[in-house]
Amino acid sequence: MTALSRTWSRLTLPGKLIFSILPVVLVLTVGLIAVLVLFGPTIIQFLADNIWLVRFVVAATAILVMSIPTAFLIIYMEMKGIALMNLRIGPDRVGPFGSLLSVVHGLKVLAKEDFSPTGTDRLVFTLAPVVVYMATIMGLLVIPFAPGLFGQDMSIALLYFFAVGGLTVVGLLMAGWSSFNKYSLLGGLRSAAQIVSYEIPLTLSVVGLLMLAGTMSLNQLALNQAGWFTNWYVFQQPLGALIFFIAATAEANRTPFDLTEADSEIVAGFATEYSGMRFGFFFFAEYVNVFVISALFVTLFFGGWNAPFAWPEAWQITLNLNPGQLGILLLILFAVIPVIGTLVLAAPFLLARSSMPAWQAIIIGFVLFNLVAVAAVVGIAYIGWDWVAGLLWFLGKSYVFVFVFVWMRGTLPRVRIDQLMGFAWKWLLPASLLNLFVTAAAILVFAS
Amino acid sequence: MIRTPGLGIVKGMGLTLRRFFEPKATIKYPEVRLDVPHKFRGRLQLLYDEYGAIKCETCFQCAQACPIECIDMGGLDTKGRFHVHWGPPETYGERRDESALRRSGRPVPDASYAHFEGIDVGPLEAILEDFDHDPRHMLQILEATQAAYGHLPVAALKLISHRTGAWYAMIYGTASYYRHLRFEAPGNEVQSAAIDAHRPSEATYLAGFEAALAGGGGAGAGRGKGRGGGRGAEA
Repeated sequence: MTALSRTWSRLTLPGKLIFSILPVVLVLTVGLIAVLVLFGPTIIQFLADNIWLVRFVVAATAILVMSIPTAFLIIYMEMKGIALMNLRIGPDRVGPFGSLLSVVHGLKVLAKEDFSPTGTDRLVFTLAPVVVYMATIMGLLVIPFAPGLFGQDMSIALLYFFAVGGLTVVGLLMAGWSSFNKYSLLGGLRSAAQIVSYEIPLTLSVVGLLMLAGTMSLNQLALNQAGWFTNWYVFQQPLGALIFFIAATAEANRTPFDLTEADSEIVAGFATEYSGMRFGFFFFAEYVNVFVISALFVTLFFGGWNAPFAWPEAWQITLNLNPGQLGILLLILFAVIPVIGTLVLAAPFLLARSSMPAWQAIIIGFVLFNLVAVAAVVGIAYIGWDWVAGLLWFLGKSYVFVFVFVWMRGTLPRVRIDQLMGFAWKWLLPASLLNLFVTAAAILVFAS
Repeated sequence: MIRTPGLGIVKGMGLTLRRFFEPKATIKYPEVRLDVPHKFRGRLQLLYDEYGAIKCETCFQCAQACPIECIDMGGLDTKGRFHVHWGPPETYGERRDESALRRSGRPVPDASYAHFEGIDVGPLEAILEDFDHDPRHMLQILEATQAAYGHLPVAALKLISHRTGAWYAMIYGTASYYRHLRFEAPGNEVQSAAIDAHRPSEATYLAGFEAALAGGGGAGAGRGKGRGGGRGAEA
């Protein structure tokens, strides 16, 4: 017994942690295997019968997981893009071209103290960032990323999207109210006023499009815009698209409408009292929101996952690759092709420049081979699977609009609160009503 | 010109997009260094504050750091009484005379350097002998010295300090406390004027403050009121 306690006392803290967790993990693993062996078929049968449950869990998990790198990527894009527009270099220390800086920021935020000031309403204070974050990413559940790649194909997807997106206001008000700080409360009310005002033109600008399409399902809307890019709704609803874009900018709290947390003027508005990961959630939600809004904009007006061109059927390349036919040859190919590719791509460098040592040429050849291999794999996937093609087009278009948001932030000054409100009620609302009226009239004229 | 709504936004967006692709102004300092001459130290310049007084604190750090000893400091101390400089005084005097002659083509007298003129120590030795080199008779020693020389030269004060063992600072303090003791020969009006021109007196500062406090439209009225203790007359 003494030997055991002596050994235990000699362990470092990580060692103690590992040795106390290890038995639990072992027991859980053995238990899981036992459960799978005993009840495996029953569980699989249950899941197959309730496939909607599996689909929901997978979709929710996938969206939660993808939101984090999306936020990192957009934060990096913003830091780098605005820096380049300011003739600066921007982040360039962590990772290639500084691309991991936002990840390090995330880790820093995660490592900070979980702090709530005196007098706060703890429960509401803690829940507010969660509400904002969930309201933001739940919109992603209905967005079709590619043919067949969406969380749920609802018939009221657009309505659901706006309804869930409207929950953000609740989160902001919760944050402002529970902070026990009158300035936070004012900031929360201010952002609520802004977001509620812009919801109206945002929703009205889409109604014309809905009348044209006759559906609220985002998947169906994307399908409607298949073919050449002239089929995109932006050409039938240019005013609607413009209003949607402006109102969405205000919805997402982006410059020039970022009065909710005008960082240079009102400290942080509703988020004044927040720090650490709770603030991080607000911050992440803002950037995920940029992606969500861009994705919705692309889905509604820019053809969703459709390529901007539709070649005639005769031009379509069909790949009938079945690697399984090769049998054992496949393994040999996998072993041989990288070596041959590296050597073949290294040879020109070695031959053309006598001053280059062989190892440098081989490294260059290896890098080039990797690029070629990745390009080949992506190309084959693009041709072979239409969901890969759709995903690439969708993400490409979305990030173009994300870049436009960043670009606007690098250019436009912030508006005043009265200009913001006046613009929403005096210009955007009448314009969206006009758009609605003209669309309805056009449908009546041309349909009859 | 017709104002097109949104044209400014389009122009601004175009500008930032052009900037996006332009070469960047940042220099990654520790890794990349600009090609600067080895002994470059920036522009040598003395700055003045808003009242026209020179900002230099005569700390001599620049002169000490100067790699080719081209910085040569000379001037009056903060009370406008003593000549201060960096380096041995005789060398400084030589270099100054030589430099001034070279640049102006004629000998240029250094008014403030007059403090450091050598003196005939005979009378002072006699005075010190009379008072038995006793620092407790400092006031009498100083009065006798002023009677002999007409004022209190720096060299005399230094010699008194050396002989009596009193600190130079104590002697200076005593001498500057009594109004009838003076550091300059009487009637040296030209030098006083030169000093005033070089370094504004307290009255000028006060005038500046008054003018600044009066502010806006009252700037002209407030000017000059602070001079000559006229601050109470303001109404």
